[in-house]
Amino acid sequence: MKFVRNSAVFRFALLVAILVVLPLLGLGPNAVRLLFVTFVWVTVSIAWNILGGFGGQVSFGFAVFYGLGAYAAALAVNSGLHTVVALLLAAGVAMLASFVIGLPTFRLRGPYFAIATIGVSEAVRVVMTNVPMTGGASGYRILETGPFRQLDHFYISLALAVLAMAASFEVRRSKFGLALLAIREDEDAASDLGVNPFRAKLLAHALAAALTGAAGGVYAQYAAFIHPQGVFAFSIGVAILLMPIIGGVGTIWGPVIGGVVYGLIHDELVASFPQLHLLIYGSLLILIVLFEPAGLVGLFGRWFRTLASARRIRAANP
Amino acid sequence: MSATDLLNLLIAALLLAGVYAVMSVGMTIIYGVMKIVNLAHAGFLMLGAYFVYELYTRLGIDPLLGVFLAFPVFFFIGMAVHRILVRRIPTSDQPTLTSLLLLFGLWLVLQNLGYLVWGNSDRAILTPRTLEVLEVGPMGFPTVRLVVFAVALGALAGLEFVLHKTWFGRAVRALMQNSDAGRIVGINVDRTARVAFGVGIAFSGAAGGLLAMLYSFSPDFGGPFLLRAFVIIVLGGLESFAGVAVGSLILALVETFSILALPASYQPAIAFSLLVVALVALPGGVAGLWNRRPRLA
Repeated sequence: MKFVRNSAVFRFALLVAILVVLPLLGLGPNAVRLLFVTFVWVTVSIAWNILGGFGGQVSFGFAVFYGLGAYAAALAVNSGLHTVVALLLAAGVAMLASFVIGLPTFRLRGPYFAIATIGVSEAVRVVMTNVPMTGGASGYRILETGPFRQLDHFYISLALAVLAMAASFEVRRSKFGLALLAIREDEDAASDLGVNPFRAKLLAHALAAALTGAAGGVYAQYAAFIHPQGVFAFSIGVAILLMPIIGGVGTIWGPVIGGVVYGLIHDELVASFPQLHLLIYGSLLILIVLFEPAGLVGLFGRWFRTLASARRIRAANP
Repeated sequence: MSATDLLNLLIAALLLAGVYAVMSVGMTIIYGVMKIVNLAHAGFLMLGAYFVYELYTRLGIDPLLGVFLAFPVFFFIGMAVHRILVRRIPTSDQPTLTSLLLLFGLWLVLQNLGYLVWGNSDRAILTPRTLEVLEVGPMGFPTVRLVVFAVALGALAGLEFVLHKTWFGRAVRALMQNSDAGRIVGINVDRTARVAFGVGIAFSGAAGGLLAMLYSFSPDFGGPFLLRAFVIIVLGGLESFAGVAVGSLILALVETFSILALPASYQPAIAFSLLVVALVALPGGVAGLWNRRPRLA
């Protein structure tokens, strides 16, 4: 094991260590809440990127997994199951849903999957609004059995974000990840080289869904109250897609940066521009697609290269 | 259920199918020529609805005339959108991630501009015509629906004429079949694409106006119709205008008759279920059933 190869892992571990001790240094509950929310967003952002960024399959419907995970976890906790079991259940339910969506739509190429996800997201919200078991439109409450311990939730969300990050790393350097990249670039060529695009997309979708479902479960346990217009909202699906795109789609750190930016500024933005925030996101999406498809990561990279070359020129001509 | 009820439901489905066809045909043109799934379709439907509404409430212009005015206005809006945004993204013979995201961003912008301008309350266009019913024996035809259906058929006939009798139409059909070959025989692809995008958006806007005469609307109005339009063009095999007609009829029939079996609140799930069935059972669309000749790639 070479140190060079592990320096990224080392830096990542350092970052996690800092985040672990951060709340113990006297951060207020509001700051901890903000970090908690950010970790949840980072998790789903990374999850979306596995399918959308590596595999090139745009989904507008990740709110389905987020919401199903939230409801599954809420139901599990209320029936007395342990938090971790509840989260596993949430991931499992979301994964099942991913097969239901993916099996028909991945059979064909092109926009079918993307549009179908819009439809699924609408349909699931409608159905959940009418299901009496979970309270329908009026929402569902998790019954609190013990005292509220914010730090527990914080560490669970951090652990999940780290897990998502590890999955993203692993996928990116595995054969499976290469298959996804190949599908994104040219599905015919990938298929000729022995990749089974259908299976690879389905697997990536399932993995992304599981992570998203677990994130929904983590959120539900913190919020203790969920309702269909909240967790299944189309705007959640939009947010999940925007984060990795803002950060830099198809990269390792892009979705993390996108999730952090979104997690930290979203509340502020909604509070300041309640009518405008989606308008701002839409314009941002258009600008990114037209001018900086690699997102913030691409922008930083360009600045960094400009700086580096300027320094090199200065060094060469003192 | 009596035979009359059945007949009335059939008529309702047929009248609905006409509107659905107009609504979907714009997406088909844009998809066919540019291989772009126009997600902003939903936004333009909404704008078309408010366009007709504003003309009616502010200037007292009849909604029908408003729909006719929507064609040229949205045609130019569409050409402008193509010039400013769509032209800048790389073209491909497969729908690309970039084009999906670009038009999705445009939809978000349009939808939230709508919220900004008109707020989120529901509006409706009420004319003296709205509640009239034409009685023919035991059957009732709601007048608005008849009128809307007639306009829809007229618009489709006009489009059919343009596609088959003009050079622009021939260029569009050629590009839909094979864009490289079209380029070789001297079609100006950029110009044809721009006009085709304009025509597609013109149909979105006008269809929005027609839908506004039938349903109440809010800035969120387009979403469910976007999915329906997509289901219709998938049923129709994505690139065929005859397929659009068949797809519209199928969706309208299924939606209308599902009321007998399902609570109305589940209606939005129907379009998606139909999409799944279509994808699993008929990957080439309905047209694929009688059109099984091998396609040259």
